[in-house]
Amino acid sequence: MTASETSVRRNYSLGARRAAVSIVAAWHLGFDLVGTVGTWESYRLPWLAGLAWVLYAGIGVVAAVALLTERPLRFGVWPCAAGALAASAMVMAACAPGDVVNAANWGWGSVGWLAMVVFWPRPTWLRDLSVFLLANVVVTLAGLALAGALDPRSLSKFLVVSVGAITLQAGASAGGHALDLAARWAVENSNRTAGAEAARKAADQVHADRLARYAEVRSAVAPVLTLLAGGADPADPDVRHESAVGAARLRRLIAETDDAPDPLLHTLRACAFDVERRGVVVLFLTAGTVPPLPLEVRRALVEAPIEGMARARRQARVTLVATPREVIVSVLTDAPSLPSADGSRAANVATRVEAENGGSQLWIESRWTAP
Amino acid sequence: MDREPLDRPVTLAVVEDTPVVLEGIRSWVAADPGRRVEIVASGNTVDSVLDGAGSHADVLLLDLELDGVNSLPRIPELVAAGRRVVVYSVHEDDATVMAVLRAGAATFIAKTETREHCVDTIVAVGRDRPYVPPVMAGALVAADGQTSRPMLSAREREALLLWFQGMNKQSVALRMGISEATVKQYIERARVKYASTGRAAPTKTTLLARAIQDGLITADDIIEYQSLAADHHPRD
Repeated sequence: MTASETSVRRNYSLGARRAAVSIVAAWHLGFDLVGTVGTWESYRLPWLAGLAWVLYAGIGVVAAVALLTERPLRFGVWPCAAGALAASAMVMAACAPGDVVNAANWGWGSVGWLAMVVFWPRPTWLRDLSVFLLANVVVTLAGLALAGALDPRSLSKFLVVSVGAITLQAGASAGGHALDLAARWAVENSNRTAGAEAARKAADQVHADRLARYAEVRSAVAPVLTLLAGGADPADPDVRHESAVGAARLRRLIAETDDAPDPLLHTLRACAFDVERRGVVVLFLTAGTVPPLPLEVRRALVEAPIEGMARARRQARVTLVATPREVIVSVLTDAPSLPSADGSRAANVATRVEAENGGSQLWIESRWTAP
Repeated sequence: MDREPLDRPVTLAVVEDTPVVLEGIRSWVAADPGRRVEIVASGNTVDSVLDGAGSHADVLLLDLELDGVNSLPRIPELVAAGRRVVVYSVHEDDATVMAVLRAGAATFIAKTETREHCVDTIVAVGRDRPYVPPVMAGALVAADGQTSRPMLSAREREALLLWFQGMNKQSVALRMGISEATVKQYIERARVKYASTGRAAPTKTTLLARAIQDGLITADDIIEYQSLAADHHPRD
């Protein structure tokens, strides 16, 4: 998932969480507080009702902070849920027996909201919330029984409030989670589309690379084959050198796409190895670590040195010096000459080909300097 | 390489566990027209060589790998005891070369180096003069380019680079439009600059002192390159 996709998902998810917290806060301040204060005089134990309100608020703050900051809930999920259930029971105990199905007993219809926030981030939120709501119904029924309020009128009021509250609470929770799920689907869908698009682009690139490589292979071997087809003698040293050069170019083409940790070194080594097999003594010395270079720079760097190696008669000293800002490839060899290189060019790569040791040797140096 | 007359040959102790390599070194030393080096001891461990006839040798030639064990950790104590250590190895990557120099060895000779370089290096080290075989030159260029505070001048770098690429000093001089003596000076000065950093050692101090006497560097240069000068030459 990319960063922007993650952020889309996070935004949806965070929006739903904020909405859930807002509902609980509004409910507890707008409904529960009004109920507690408004009926303060009628409570059997008003302080217990007040304590229940504070307990509810405390659990609510802890759960809201955990939910919005995406951290694990302090004190654990189930202790918080038990606290919510205790608040429900405390309010009921605070009520006078005749008030247990009135507004004074706000707890049993309200704690479901708290539970919604507590269970929200859990994958098993639906099961957990159901268990909690069921437990709340049992506790409330027990309270009704203790208060002797199991008459049909009280029971029907209890049923109406319970069904209403449970429907709202479970519905809000389901809605929020559905938003999260929808966001995930949308991201997955866009991933699939992007993946298909990337695969198509990669296939196009591979095709274009193949065509380019074919053209290069052609330019590497065509001159030699044309020479031979024209009746040139394969024993002729010039023809043999042309062949060696063609072979070195092919070798470079093969080596430069190998997945090697240091492609420049890998290409040079592969070519040196081929030249050695021809009986040329190659001394290959390197110093420093080659920085990552684009293919065209690598190609421009090695082309002339490889050509020089390929034309070596008996020996070649190949050196590579690399620093983060400079890479220098050189070949000192007994090759007779090098036709003016008309091949790869790249910005910041300079190549020198000069006679050395009074013309008995050839010195080739390609130098890349960081822009 | 040295123009001043030799009073006596430089005595050499060789620590090498491969007989054929030892034979090679013997034949190179024997083939030197000036007979400038005399092998006084050889053996396959540092201790066996130093306990015997090698204890007073001018130069200790140490193979970096003896019986498969890296002898790099032995270098600091040998150098601290005032020995001129020349390390030679098949491992000629720049990291190895620089590690050897940092440990305090006088110089590094790659096993791909030619006879002249090998004998010249031993003679130079025996007389506390800097000598940079080509492989070491490449390592110095690469190491200098990786630091945020390069020590080498552009001309010194260029001379070291061409030397590493396989040219002789005459060719380097021709290409750079300077005299052969200046090329030699550039290359040796680069070595001295690197000797003035890192671990202090009596042999390094002597190298620096000789370099100042020879006019290769000035005392001011050393203060700039710190550490050793501060430890052993109270600024006078």
